Order: sequence, then structure tokens, then C-alpha cells
Amino acid sequence: MRIALAGNPNSGKTTMYNVLTGRNEKVGNWAGVTVDKIESPLRKKYSVGSEGVIIVDLPGAYSMSPFTSEESITSDYVRNARPDVIVNIVDSTNLSRSLFFTTQLLEIGIPVVVALNKTDITDKRHNKINTKLLSERLGCPVVSTSADDGKGVDKLARVALNSAGGTQAAPFVGKKATDRASAEKADRERFAFVNKIVSAVETRETKASDLGIQDKIDDILTNKWLGIPIFAVVMFLVFQISQSWLGAWIAEGIVFENGFELYGLVTLIDMLGAWVAGLMEGANPLLTSLIVDGIIGGVGAVVGFLPLVMVMYFLIALLEDLGYMARVAVVLDPVFKRVGLSGRSVIPFVIGTGCAVPGVMACRTIRDERERRATAMLAPFMPCGAKLPVISLFAGAFFGESRWVGVSMYFVGILVILLGAFVVNSVTGYKARKSYFIMELPEYKAPSVSKALISMCQRGWSYIVKAGTVILVCNFAVHLMQSYGWNLRPVENAGDSILATAAFPFAYLFAPVVGVVAWQFAAATITGFIAKENVVGTLAVCFVGLENLINLDELAMLEGTGAEIAGVMAISRVAALAFLVLNLFTPPCFAAIGAMNAEIKSKKWLFGGIALQLGMGYSLGFMVYFFGTLFTGAGFGAAWMPILGWTVVLVFTLTILLLSLKSKRQAAEKADAKATATV
Amino acid sequence: MTDIIAIAVILLVVGAALGYIIWAKKKGRRCIGCPDSKGCSGNCSSCQGNCKTK
Repeated sequence: MRIALAGNPNSGKTTMYNVLTGRNEKVGNWAGVTVDKIESPLRKKYSVGSEGVIIVDLPGAYSMSPFTSEESITSDYVRNARPDVIVNIVDSTNLSRSLFFTTQLLEIGIPVVVALNKTDITDKRHNKINTKLLSERLGCPVVSTSADDGKGVDKLARVALNSAGGTQAAPFVGKKATDRASAEKADRERFAFVNKIVSAVETRETKASDLGIQDKIDDILTNKWLGIPIFAVVMFLVFQISQSWLGAWIAEGIVFENGFELYGLVTLIDMLGAWVAGLMEGANPLLTSLIVDGIIGGVGAVVGFLPLVMVMYFLIALLEDLGYMARVAVVLDPVFKRVGLSGRSVIPFVIGTGCAVPGVMACRTIRDERERRATAMLAPFMPCGAKLPVISLFAGAFFGESRWVGVSMYFVGILVILLGAFVVNSVTGYKARKSYFIMELPEYKAPSVSKALISMCQRGWSYIVKAGTVILVCNFAVHLMQSYGWNLRPVENAGDSILATAAFPFAYLFAPVVGVVAWQFAAATITGFIAKENVVGTLAVCFVGLENLINLDELAMLEGTGAEIAGVMAISRVAALAFLVLNLFTPPCFAAIGAMNAEIKSKKWLFGGIALQLGMGYSLGFMVYFFGTLFTGAGFGAAWMPILGWTVVLVFTLTILLLSLKSKRQAAEKADAKATATV
Repeated sequence: MTDIIAIAVILLVVGAALGYIIWAKKKGRRCIGCPDSKGCSGNCSSCQGNCKTK
């Protein structure tokens, strides 16, 4: 038996799904968190003897006539897969809008049970809904629920199971629309029917038009002038708490005044490495190095950063649940609109700070195809969690642990997105037109610490799994390739290794960015495409002598070794910043490219997106190095380096210009053809 | 003897990691470990063809 959960976005479907199934799928206090169908068995405590009951959570939809791909998943599933029962999750705080979709579901003929959700909020507002009368008017069972605290869920499950196998009569049957005008007329008739029901069943103490405290807070947070500075301060605090305060304390440990030391995670991993090294004292040095540096060092490299990343995820989850992140979309809408995007694009960018893959997947909530594709190719520009170790290492080694490096990279990310959007518009011939961004702002609510903790632990676990699988295998392979030559014998000099000789040709390509021909940087950048954390791990493994200056477990330099690390890497601070920019703004990983492929659904746009990311990352990295070196008065190294760098930048720019001219010419030809046809 | 144990440990750990990666890819997980990638595996079979619509 299949029970489908359907309803408007942000009505609490996934929260209900989690309660019914015991799962912990991502929930958020904004519309469009769920973008795909997910399913799981009903918990035994709710199944009342029924076997094999599957709960299906569907993406939110306002109507059975879909506008977005995730809405079409819902309407297609309900129409074609024909679940046994539909549990329609209705937001009781917005009855009128929710029941529009309900009346459409009732027309399908599958038994519908209405879950009148968020009743805790309606109770707080002293609004009353007559569920008995509502049930009579709709012709289906209505159960009051509050998924947040589990109220009414057992009754809902019981009623849903009892309804299976029955039939469903529709209280309102919409007329079939043949054109837009008739569709609008049918919608108006449906709304009139719904409003009649709402006025009969609902008694509101607070009118929707009354301004409340929430509206006053919104006036400040979404203010035209204050909104962006407030957002900047909030994000700065998030990074400060996660990177400098709480996260750093958990990672590095605390020494109390009485001398008592509370070990941090990094120290514990260090101790594990030392203990294993001690156990392997008599073993072959190559094997010891493989286990201690390759395996323990590789996994520890990511795990050492875990506290920083987890604290950041916890704070972001609190902000999401509070309802603030939805306001950010409103605040940034005017900025993004100028480059052909909208506030809706902000959600993927915010999600992308955690991981680019779900960030790109979140693009499917965007209705406009061009905007959706542009957002999907631009979302990976936001520095994701995997890039944090790279930022932290370079900020620590070359910039005296200055926090401005990390924070500024996120704001540079936003600027690169705006620049990228401008490029996409030029190439596709898009002309900005007046458009309206309509988004439902969720209620502010006290953020749930338990939800934030669950979200944090899920992401933390994913981090550990990634470290124990992909990162481990990569570091192991890098270690092997760096230890052996092509004759499969151990090499004395790492420069003769398989890794060095394979990466050497690429070293020339990256030389204009770092100012030196060093295979180590090329190898780090290339392994970074598998997972960005590999950049730091590969650098630590490849640079002879760096392993003594960088703690492989925490992937940070040992105290006071910043200058030495810079010396071993033999690059300037400007080159370090340029290398950081190169790695942050080139494609994040193959998984993100796969996600782009799935969302963009066009090879032309996909390859265009990858080329844009590669070109943008390389060009920005080179320009940081070139102008930085120019201003600091340092030498450029060999003369061919800036020549090669500028050649790449010019080819990239000329390609964009040529494509822009082509699209303008095509647009002009189309306009001419249209004008001729009209005449 | 220590070398044999070390080789066994390396084979076990790397083998387990590779095994997990292959298992996860077969399951359709796009990004290993990502809690959000299990929602949609990225191949249309997980969406019963609905991914192709629109």
C-alpha cells in the first residue's frame, strides 16, 4: 500500500514524512526544500497491523497544472502511479491557498485525507477551524495535526489506512480549459468555491491584513538599505563562530588556566597517528608511510576540519529554521535581477555553501528555464564545505590566520556569480525585462535546536564517510604514485615519481598563476576535481619537507611555521592567493558536474558552464597573480608566464565576445524575420 | 610479520573504501556520503521516469 503526502510548498510534508517513517530527511522553513520524490516504510507504531505500507513524500505543488519540474513530479506521480491514499497536508495558517490544490486532488478519485497541519500556530493566533464542517464540505476526512510536535499523527495514520481502497467524490469539478482565458476563468471559479468554504469554516481573530511583529521584523531585515549589510554581518558571525571560536576550540582543544588541557579532535588524530607509527616501528618505511601519512593522514585531513564545518552547518540550519534564509532571497532579489537572475536563485547559492551538489539540485524550483540553467552553472562558484580546508590552509600559512581571507572568499563568490550571470546573459542574448519575484515568506519561529543538531550530524557523518572513502582512496593513490616511478620501483626523488611526471605538463599551464613551474600545484589542482579537500592533502604529500610543517591530520600549518611553509612551497603570498582563487572558482568536483548535467539537461549549456567555470577560475587566478605582483613589485618569473596567462585570458574573453556577437546577430535576424512576417 | 599485518590492513581499509564507493555508485548515489544525494540518485530510474518530464 502506498500513501502519498501531497500539498503546497512549506506546508510541513517532509516533517510529517519524517514523523511517519522515522527518517531524517532535510526539512527547512522555506518553500522548495524537497525537489524530488522520496519514500520509506511507515513506522510499525503507526501501521496498526497493516503490512508493507510505504509513505511517499512528494515535492510541494500549488496546483495540478505544473509550472516547475518538481511540481510536475508531484502531478505525474499522483496521476500515473495512483497511490492508494493521498494525505493532503494543508497549511492551516493559509487555508484558502491550500484548499485550491485540495479540490484538484479530490477530483482524481483517489481517497484523500486532509491533514490540517501547523495547528499549533493557528491555536497561538486564536484562530479556529471547524474541522467537522470542513470535512463535510470537502467530502473527505480531516484530521488536525502538528507535525512539529507529532500531535494528531497517529490518528492521521489510522484514518489514512482505513481510507485505502475506497472511492472519492469531488465537491467541485473544474471545467476543462481549452485556452488561457478559460483556464483563468476555471481557476477563478475554483477559488470562489474554496473561499466560500473557508469563510464558513474559519474564524480568524487576527486578520491577514493586520500588521504584526513579524511584519515589523521583516521591515528591517528586508529593508532596501539595511537588508544586505545585515546579511553580511550575519554571515560574518557565522564564519567567525565556526572558524575562529567554537569550531576552532573543538578542533584544536582548550588549555585551561590551571594547565589542564582538553584535547581537540586534531590532537586526538595526531596521537592516533603517532601510536600507529610506534606500533609499526620495525616495518618497511614505505608501508609505515602509506598507513600513517596516506591512510590516517588522509582521513584525518578531512576529519580534522569536521568541527569547523559542523558548527557552520549547525548555525546555517538554525538560520534556515528561523526563517531568515527565505528573507535573504528577498534582500538579494534586486541585485540578482539586474543580471537576469532572481531571488529564487539565492536558495541554491545558500545551499551551495554546504555542498555544490544539493545546491545545483535546488535549481529545479526555478520556473524559467534560462534562469534555472544559469543558476545551476553559477551555483558551484559559492565556496562549498569541501573548499574550507583549502581556504583555511592558505589563510593560515600565508596570511597569518587572517579571517578576512575566508570571509572575503564568500563575498568574492557572490561577485563572481554576478559576473558569471552577466557573461551568460551576453552569450545567450538575454535582455533584462521587468519581472516580479513572488515568494511566500515563512513564519518566523524559534529555531529547533534538535533539528539543527540532526542536520549538523547528518552532514558531519557525510563528511566522515567521504573522508573514509573517496579522500582515503585518492590520498592512497597519490601516495603510491608519489612513491613509485614508472618502473614500479620506489623512487629516491619525488620528482622522478609517476605523479610528478604525469603532472609536469600541467605545471606549465598553471605556472602563470603561481609564478613557478611546480608539478605539485598541478597535481593538487587535478586531484581537487575529484574532491576539493584533496588539494591540501596532495600538497602536503607532494612537497618534500612540507609534511613536517603541515599537520596532515588537521591540514593546517604547525604553529609558527607559516613562513617555512611559504618557503617550502616557494611561492609568494600573492601567488598563494591566486592559487586559492584558481581552486575555489574552477569546477568543484565531478559530482557537481554530474548534478549540473542532470539539472541543465542540455549538453551545450553543460559544456558552456564547465568552460565558464574553468575560464573564470583560471582568469581570476592569473589576474590576482599578475596585478598583485605588479603592485607588490615582485618579479614575474619567466617572461613566458604572463604571456601564456594573458593568452588564456584573451582567448576566454574573445570567445565570450564572439558568442555574444553571434547571439546578438541571431536575435537581430529573428527580429527582422518577425517584422517581415508581420508586414 | 609486521609487514604482512601492515599489507593486510592496507588491503582491508582500501578494499573496504573502494567497495563502499562501488556499492554507493550502484545505488545511484551521485556524491558519496552526501545526505542530500540519496533523495534523487540522478538517474531517472529512481524517479520512475518523472525526471524526464518537463
